[in-house]
Amino acid sequence: MNPHPYVRGYMAGIVVPTLFLLVVMSAYFVLRFILQVPVPIERVIVFPMAGVPNLWGLWNMLYVRRRQGGHPSIGVHGALLPLVLAPLAFLVATGLGLAARSQGAFVYLEVIHANYGLVAIVIGVGIAIYYLAWKYFVNFFNELLGVA
Amino acid sequence: MNHPEDDQNDVRELRELLKKSVPRVHAELRRDLWPEMLQRLDSRTTRVPWFDWALAAAAAALLLLFPQAIPALLYHL
Repeated sequence: MNPHPYVRGYMAGIVVPTLFLLVVMSAYFVLRFILQVPVPIERVIVFPMAGVPNLWGLWNMLYVRRRQGGHPSIGVHGALLPLVLAPLAFLVATGLGLAARSQGAFVYLEVIHANYGLVAIVIGVGIAIYYLAWKYFVNFFNELLGVA
Repeated sequence: MNHPEDDQNDVRELRELLKKSVPRVHAELRRDLWPEMLQRLDSRTTRVPWFDWALAAAAAALLLLFPQAIPALLYHL
């Protein structure tokens, strides 16, 4: 008997991004308040802080649901998440007026220019990182909470 | 109507028959299973295949070659 498998799946899913967020927040404080980088990072940090860990949790709940019907690869399942997250993050940034498209590139905060080639690299690297993170770390926490 | 003593005899007889037909269960374990459990836990090592090492190396190399991708990566993922 395994009570509340979806709650366990959610909890196992949010651990990795929550821990990693500590690193991101530390880097943010160093860049913004110690090195005085003149980019208002705090305006865009809402999405990684609030959205990403919850989406990892929900994505892992979906994995727990998929496992009941077979044996999907957790690495591949996790590697699909950037394809959801990246457009969502861009939509949020565009909605808040923090990002826009102009002449073959995405512009963030009017100072960071990312051309389509760079975007492709970001997506490729993101998929690779997510594949490994889900295969080893999320799977570890799933095993720990009995939903692997 | 049955006599109470007959009922008692029937129950006793039934108990004896059950004792004879059902084999005795050994409630105690014959050996300690905990050392084997510990050994099994110790033997659970994560093996990382070469493909995953290559993938991690490729991702790290790309980030070193294109460091401007790091902020976008941190924001989107």
